[in-house]
Amino acid sequence: MNNLVEVEHFQMSFDSKTVIKDLSFAVKKGEIFGLLGANGSGKTTTIRALLGFYKPTSGKLLLNGKKYNPENTKLTVGYLPEERGLYRKETVIDTMVYFGNLKGLKDPLAWSQKYLKRVGLEDKSSEKIEKLSSGQQQKIQLGITIMNDPKLLILDEPTKGFDPMNRRLLMEIIEELHEKGTSIIMITHYMDEVEQLCDRALLLKDGTVRAYGTIPDIKKEFKNKSLDQIFVDIYGDSHE
Amino acid sequence: MNKNTLKVAKFEIIRQLKKPAFWAATLLIPLLIGVIYFISFISAQSVETEPTFDENTKIAITDDAGVLSSNVPYLINGDKDYGIEMVKNGEVDLYFYIPADFAESKKADFYHISEGLEIFNNDGNILKMILSQDSASRVDELDVIALTSGYEIVDNKLAKDGADSNALGRAIIPGFIGVVFFMFIALCGNRFLLTVVEEKENRISEMILTSISSKHLIVGKIIALLALGLVQILALVIPILAIVFIKRDDAFISSILSTIEIDPVLITLSVILFIASAVLYAGVCVFVGSLVSTARDASSFIGPAIICMVFPLYFMQMFMATEPNLIVQIFTYFPLSAPIALMLRSCFGTIDTLGFCIGIAVVAASAVVAIYLAIKTFQKNAINFSIAKPKFFKK
Repeated sequence: MNNLVEVEHFQMSFDSKTVIKDLSFAVKKGEIFGLLGANGSGKTTTIRALLGFYKPTSGKLLLNGKKYNPENTKLTVGYLPEERGLYRKETVIDTMVYFGNLKGLKDPLAWSQKYLKRVGLEDKSSEKIEKLSSGQQQKIQLGITIMNDPKLLILDEPTKGFDPMNRRLLMEIIEELHEKGTSIIMITHYMDEVEQLCDRALLLKDGTVRAYGTIPDIKKEFKNKSLDQIFVDIYGDSHE
Repeated sequence: MNKNTLKVAKFEIIRQLKKPAFWAATLLIPLLIGVIYFISFISAQSVETEPTFDENTKIAITDDAGVLSSNVPYLINGDKDYGIEMVKNGEVDLYFYIPADFAESKKADFYHISEGLEIFNNDGNILKMILSQDSASRVDELDVIALTSGYEIVDNKLAKDGADSNALGRAIIPGFIGVVFFMFIALCGNRFLLTVVEEKENRISEMILTSISSKHLIVGKIIALLALGLVQILALVIPILAIVFIKRDDAFISSILSTIEIDPVLITLSVILFIASAVLYAGVCVFVGSLVSTARDASSFIGPAIICMVFPLYFMQMFMATEPNLIVQIFTYFPLSAPIALMLRSCFGTIDTLGFCIGIAVVAASAVVAIYLAIKTFQKNAINFSIAKPKFFKK
């Protein structure tokens, strides 16, 4: 099986409002997949349904051929959600070790210390999370997301709020994981990130697919315009 | 037990134990309660020194020590057994026996029919009043004045059917467990409520639920909450038991200790009820926490649940009656009020073993349902960050 993620005829309604209409796509093993769209187009809803937070109105959402259950799968998943948070009153190291334990790391303390050193936060390990800047907190969240060496990494707007240096650091980490064979789904509004990192992408508008394929194929379909321009063309008339 | 459940429980326990606020609540609240009880105890003592009785109260006294003058109208010629029979037959309301060794033992006996659970019965002090008034009239007899001070009157309660009654002795252990449960509610409620709200308020739910199922998260949290509650309860109970042990020779404490009746069945059932009630309370709090998005919303929803739990206390008099009325029966078997209602009834001895077991089964089943609902609700509402009220409260 070449596909790690399979979404077939996915439909999602909240009360009487349908937010996803018959969505189908697949993410191949080892690829970086861009899930793109304007705010409210259904990207985060799709990911939440994929991870079992929402029950789909209809359709199938499978990870490695099965519905996702965090404790009943060999597939390791790392998810950096759009709505991010940590235990604000706990120290950085205690929080990371706790998540490391939950994710089954053999030595979560050693991993956490190594990661903190890499991202320049080794002197913050005993600080309470609430004392950190939002950028520093995001680095901790990213560390927690990747600490179990995930086979599937889902990043929902990972660079939101990062300065250029930290953005570069994040890109490096993503590329490293990609080289190790991790499949990555990336939700982002930065088209330069998509062009730089993604193998394939899907553009959603109002819960339906507007473009789907490799980056060169999408560009070709839109007369070789830049991704930025394609985005504006698709969403320009309805952007919030 | 699932290893993730234990990991959650360990994390929650350690992080709470590290918080100064936890220890402040653990140590300050019992201290405050101790002060309140001390004040009420002193008040009770001061009331005790001024007994009153109306003219219709029938009194009899056997004075083998000869400390009373013949002017006292209540003296009888019969012996102690005769006096006790008079109480059993209803010929007198109160019978006092002053033994021949009163000067050495400094103890007199007091017999009366018990109307149920009496913790502070003042009637024994009537003898003190009689002795005091009688000795005051004999100011020339210094020995009598010396003899009639600094003594103790031992309260001997008789049941209505004439048998010896030890309602207080039987009530002490279930009553103590009831008080501990009340303390548990007071000490742990807020923490129980906020334990899952924290995940939602701080937007942690999505990150954590990709690593662990909501079932193991919730059960782990409940285990931690109960363990922390146990720490707080021990912090309260151990000093009390230590004081009782140190002061075991004190007249008041030794008289209480001597009346304690050990009923293994009642004690076992009371402990099981305590555990089931604590789990039910934790389950209800976590369920409410799972329904809402913020601590502020949670506090407005938990109020009615706590009121239901402590409501039986407002009907204490009804629970003392030997024949329970409909309200008492409803409280006894309604899940939220059942814990305290059952504790009160076992304390007053107004419930049989079968009824007690049925009540415990109701509480235990309700605890399981509350935890199940908490898990399902958390699963459903885990990423409900912005909606303040659950769907069924919305217009």
